[in-house]
Amino acid sequence: MEPQQLIMPGRRSPRADAPNRPRIGIVKFASCDGCQLTLLDLEDELLAVAERVDLVEFAEATSRRSMGPFDVLFVEGSISTAEQVEEIVRLRAVSHRLITIGACATAGGIQAIRNWFELDEVRDTVYPGPTYVESLAQARPVSDFVAVDGELRGCPISPAQLREFLVSMVTGRRAQLPDEAVCLECKRRGVVCVAVADGVPCLGPVTRTGCGAICPAYGRGCYGCFGPRESANTTSLASWFSDSRSAPDVARLFSGFTAWSEPFRATIDARGGPPGQADPREESHDA
Amino acid sequence: MVTGATCFLPRADLDRLFAALRADDRTILGPAVSDGAVIYDEVASPAELPTGWESDTEPGSYRLRETGSSRAFDYVLPVTSWKRYTHPAFVPLTRARRDGSQVEVEAVLDPPPRLAFVGVRACEIAALDIQERAMRAGPIGDADHAGRRDAALVVAMECAAATSTCFCTSMGTGPEVRQGADLIASELDEGFVIRSGSATGAAMLAGLDLEPADPAQVERAAAQVAAVRTRIGDPVAVEGLPERLRAALDSPRWEQVAERCLACANCTLVCPTCFCTSVGVASDLDGQEATTERHWDSCFSLGFGRVAGDANFRPKVKDRYRQWLTHKFSTWFDQFGSSGCVGCGRCVAWCPVGIDVREELAAIAPVEGPRGPIPWPPAPDAGHAPAALTVVAPARHVTTSVVAVTQETANTATLRLATSDAALLAARPGQFVMVELPAFAAPPISISRIRPDGLDLTIRSAGPATAAIVALGPGAQVALRGPLGRGWPLESALGHDVVIVAGGVGLAPLRPVIEAVLADRARYGAVRLYLGARTPADRLFTAEMNALAGRADLEVAEIVDRAGPEWLGQVGIVTHLFDHATWNGDRVTAFVCGPERMMQATAAALTGRGVDPAAIWLTLERNMACGVGTCGHCQLGPFFVCRDGPVFSIAELGTAFGREGL
Repeated sequence: MEPQQLIMPGRRSPRADAPNRPRIGIVKFASCDGCQLTLLDLEDELLAVAERVDLVEFAEATSRRSMGPFDVLFVEGSISTAEQVEEIVRLRAVSHRLITIGACATAGGIQAIRNWFELDEVRDTVYPGPTYVESLAQARPVSDFVAVDGELRGCPISPAQLREFLVSMVTGRRAQLPDEAVCLECKRRGVVCVAVADGVPCLGPVTRTGCGAICPAYGRGCYGCFGPRESANTTSLASWFSDSRSAPDVARLFSGFTAWSEPFRATIDARGGPPGQADPREESHDA
Repeated sequence: MVTGATCFLPRADLDRLFAALRADDRTILGPAVSDGAVIYDEVASPAELPTGWESDTEPGSYRLRETGSSRAFDYVLPVTSWKRYTHPAFVPLTRARRDGSQVEVEAVLDPPPRLAFVGVRACEIAALDIQERAMRAGPIGDADHAGRRDAALVVAMECAAATSTCFCTSMGTGPEVRQGADLIASELDEGFVIRSGSATGAAMLAGLDLEPADPAQVERAAAQVAAVRTRIGDPVAVEGLPERLRAALDSPRWEQVAERCLACANCTLVCPTCFCTSVGVASDLDGQEATTERHWDSCFSLGFGRVAGDANFRPKVKDRYRQWLTHKFSTWFDQFGSSGCVGCGRCVAWCPVGIDVREELAAIAPVEGPRGPIPWPPAPDAGHAPAALTVVAPARHVTTSVVAVTQETANTATLRLATSDAALLAARPGQFVMVELPAFAAPPISISRIRPDGLDLTIRSAGPATAAIVALGPGAQVALRGPLGRGWPLESALGHDVVIVAGGVGLAPLRPVIEAVLADRARYGAVRLYLGARTPADRLFTAEMNALAGRADLEVAEIVDRAGPEWLGQVGIVTHLFDHATWNGDRVTAFVCGPERMMQATAAALTGRGVDPAAIWLTLERNMACGVGTCGHCQLGPFFVCRDGPVFSIAELGTAFGREGL
């Protein structure tokens, strides 16, 4: 696919009467719909956004459907079945820019924790009658299958970041989506560090900012839903945690919504995988 | 009498001091317990102070402990520092509007709040002074910071306790409070001994009508702070530290500490002197109404060293740790005449993995370690004394109009801008401007021609902002902030031979040099112009350069890296143009601009021909953002490129030039 800029930089933004409003689609795979609903959280500006783009596919908000082509396609959810693999490949071919949104699409999501287990075991544990459950062995991020032009992280994504992305798309400027640690947001907000002042394990130093440091602001540790930041030194942080915690406990800290993304995954692997592999029910079953 | 008698303020009367501060129309800020730590916050009455709380700190740990004592100031240091109020985490900078082709940018400068800081420690007074010098150094200071600092009243409280992370004694900032405060107090069980440190403080103290302190009380206060000094000891060997660090730029320890360092930026954000910021842009959906706001940033984040084209000056964590440590303890002296560290120990306590700067200093720059050679000479205007603080004014944003646009190459265009602004028209060759288009980050652009009625800017489209600017047509407006930086020192070339070496778009900032030299041709010796470009299609100002090549009073030679079939000239790198030249280097002043690696090769070739390093001038590209030396982005060793450069001589830069990760 030819890399192409959606709007020529510097060009005035398109309005409803303009024939060349960008054709936008929002689709989902294995996920909860929470990220795409963030668009509806824009509330005050939602109508203004709708005037500036041509929303041709968004099942949560409109009955219009489209097979493409799309100027920008937002993709939510991890790829978890064989049909989804075919569909994402087809969508990539009809999308100028493909943007993944949320922890599932960018990192595999919470369901990727099953990637460490035998699929049959997981299926038997979760479903009483697993006969009709068709699934790939692993739930994986979209970027494992097709090229991705950009991503919005989080579980769910941040309305402010989605707005920033849309504004950058319409005005032709670079989106300001920082890749630094959550710690900077804590300190700017004046949130007292829960790790240092309370000894609460916090993934903030290795997690990408964007959430506004919500969890530390409420006195709990960051659990990494925006995934690894640039330069995420999980080795050092996990080693610091290990001074007072067992290896499974440290692995559990990293086994959240973005567990499958590196270097979180390697940190979990180094401690024998996410806790729960020796599920007591399984043990008694085997016995 | 500024420092009058020492008085006694009974504990029960502390609210009278609060009332006096409020009567002076001040909001009172002081220590308060919040979320398991002491922070600085608004305190309405003495009842909100952390009475009966002490703190224990270790590297990576802070714990409050309730003692039941009646004392309110034994908590040692809060996590927050006073910079939250003098240099807030978010400060609005501009409001901008773009309506059709019309552009307007105005500075936002809110009136500073009248604040009273209660409980300021000796190390924090030092920090307020050090940060003020940083924010007001150079020709243009920061108006917001200056306003806030000047409007704050400081009530100091000498330490009666210390924690394991304190090292003010080593840094020479405490624990005794000697000056820099309006009121200076020490807490005793029964109340406070208090004296004034300024005329404002003296007037306030007189208004309280207190009894003089008992000499025994004064003695107890002195013994208390003396005990703190003893408790802290002297944990950091500071003698020769700047020089020891300069000699340790290649220490293997940087790599080792980077293995532990999370590069999370906590140390810099809790530091009371760190001042680095970045600018964020916000706009409406169409980019017609936009605002900019600066926020705290840190040299520990990858993005802080990023420049156009996704290059990065400090890609590795070890680069960033070295940048921070050497700035605090070494290049800060070059820039501002003091240490950047006050020994408060916040960076030690609030590091999530407990890295102790005292340990790192001892390991990286041991006392018995080498102290030379010094890689660079002191900055030209090092050692700003407090008396030399600049008078600051709000930033000026001047709207200019595009008269014409000339496409120079496929991705580079020259904007001919009209303005009658006297300051812009007085720009010197080599200076730059920040080019502001509402809703876009403002890029720094060198001036490529200074006309009587405006400026030319030659801009390569390297990102969305520059792309939007070169896409402007005649009649469109754009705002400029500047001129900024130090220009080419043309006067130093008078009577000398002049060699000008340009690579690609690097010819743009050199064109004013060429024009100035030719306008005053008789006062220079031989003039030689060496032009390099990637391909023939990347040559800049081709018609003008062809015309110059026809003149008898200068030599022009051109070369391209890669030629096409139509190119009959030379092929290779720009230094090939004078590899076999016969001229002698000892009477040459050289002006060089191009990609950094081209400038390194050119500087080496010129030095090899005998040109004095002090006469080889080049202009550096860094991520200049504030343009006035207060955001920290463009730091290179002891320099801020925007303020001290962007034009430097090779001699000034020393080994800072071309050193990886600096």
